[in-house]
Amino acid sequence: MSEVVKIKGLKTGLQLSFAKGASFEDIQADLQNKLESGDKFFIRGTTVFVQKGYFSEERNEKLRRMFHRHGMLFSDELKNPAMLPISKIPKRETQSQTQKTLIVNKTVRGGQEIRAEGSVMIFGNVNPGAQVIAGGNIDIRGTCRGSVHAGAFGDTTACVVADRLMPMQIQIADILARSPDDLEMPDHAEKASIKDGRIVIDAVSR
Amino acid sequence: MSQIIVITSGKGGVGKTTTTANIGVGLAMRGNKVALIDTDTGLRNLDLLLGLENRIMYDLIDVTSGRVPYNKALVRHKKHDSLYLLPTSQVKDKSAVNPDDLIKLCDDMKKDFDFIIIDCPAGIEQGFKTAIAAADMAIVVTMPEISAVRDADKIIGELGRADKENVKLIVNRIRPQMVEKGDMLDMEDINEILSIDCIGQVPDDEAVVMATNRGEPVIAMKDSIAGKAYLNIVGRLCGESIPFFKPPKEGFFAKLKRLFSMLF
Ligand SMILES: Nc1ncnc2c1ncn2[C@@H]1O[C@H](COP(=O)(O)OP(=O)(O)OP(=O)(O)O)[C@@H](O)[C@H]1O
Ligand SMILES: [Mg+2]
Repeated sequence: MSEVVKIKGLKTGLQLSFAKGASFEDIQADLQNKLESGDKFFIRGTTVFVQKGYFSEERNEKLRRMFHRHGMLFSDELKNPAMLPISKIPKRETQSQTQKTLIVNKTVRGGQEIRAEGSVMIFGNVNPGAQVIAGGNIDIRGTCRGSVHAGAFGDTTACVVADRLMPMQIQIADILARSPDDLEMPDHAEKASIKDGRIVIDAVSR
Repeated sequence: MSQIIVITSGKGGVGKTTTTANIGVGLAMRGNKVALIDTDTGLRNLDLLLGLENRIMYDLIDVTSGRVPYNKALVRHKKHDSLYLLPTSQVKDKSAVNPDDLIKLCDDMKKDFDFIIIDCPAGIEQGFKTAIAAADMAIVVTMPEISAVRDADKIIGELGRADKENVKLIVNRIRPQMVEKGDMLDMEDINEILSIDCIGQVPDDEAVVMATNRGEPVIAMKDSIAGKAYLNIVGRLCGESIPFFKPPKEGFFAKLKRLFSMLF
């Protein structure tokens, strides 16, 4: 059931695609489920796209209302080049996207969550029990002990940098890693990124 | 200018009520007019710590529901006559008072007091929201253990969400031997995680329990180490800069006994 709807990150929002042969009812149920379980892709204010002409106007209307109830926009006009998947966007445009960086000037505490469609820069700590989810990179000028997810829309080139990188969980695109149980506090800044399909940590200077 | 301070923690049993009573007595000893408000409705015990249980006639709910004016419900301390307690009800629950009630009450009481100190219930539910509503400073009490520090972190986040930016930290029940052996978080760990201004480090001290049983907060016991720590907290609250003792890395045990009296 959970693979009925597939979500892909676009420069301007999310693209939905659907498993072959899935009924509209299955699709609705799966989306409802994802929306109610607070799926991290579904950030308020995000636009959700489906291929033009995929559904009837009546069905589009049903979906539109469903997303509206959760504070999101719906569009069946997937055709504009700006809406290509991230990997196909020309380099220059990717940069202007990551320049839209969210700056957080405080410590993110347990129970708090930061979500951003682009990159995030945090001047403070990310404490245990806190969560940071970004479509782009995450840069923490402090200690990271919470959970971080960079490239949340599928960008496998995203990275997480922190002065002291000791997160409970780290995720980049769809690759997840957990910190070792006996993690020592590092004394230099580190960067987590994907290499050969795995998350690796390197020292960085800045 | 009077100041309204809420004493809060998230996790229960870390020493909010003890802190409230001691700071209250300490500020009164310096000649300030102080009111303590117990908002832990249903579980009141601030009156016990102050030895005032038998003098309670009316309570917070009587005041906020308009039955009596607050000055009728205030109980004056036996020894420190500029210290007053506004007790809460033992039979009602925390929903009996709402944030607006407390804001209005503190606004009225401000003209009569230099300090109003609010003892907050544990947790982050309605009782917490009511207790913090009127405060212009919050003191978060924690203990040097992971779960208490996590809860303190959450509470600081909640305070921020409620636009309370003036937040101070007190670490209670520190046991130097355990810290030294690495079995307890040390101040450096705690400060690094919570990253707010710390105004007190209170050792774990039997005298606190003895004082509770006597109905006389430990700050009045001149030779106790916890009492000394509370005196320093009160001094810092009054704007004095009192340095914290930093334990030396080596030879600490040998000096421990002698240094204890000046430790905190
Ligand atoms: N520094 C200390 N040394 C020894 N015992 C202490 C110290 N501080 C507090 N205690 C004891 O810990 C217990 C809990 O303290 P207190 O009632 O002040 O906590 P609280 O945070 O108000 O609890 P609650 O969440 O239930 O309101 C009491 O028995 C008290 O005597
Ligand atoms: Mg209490």
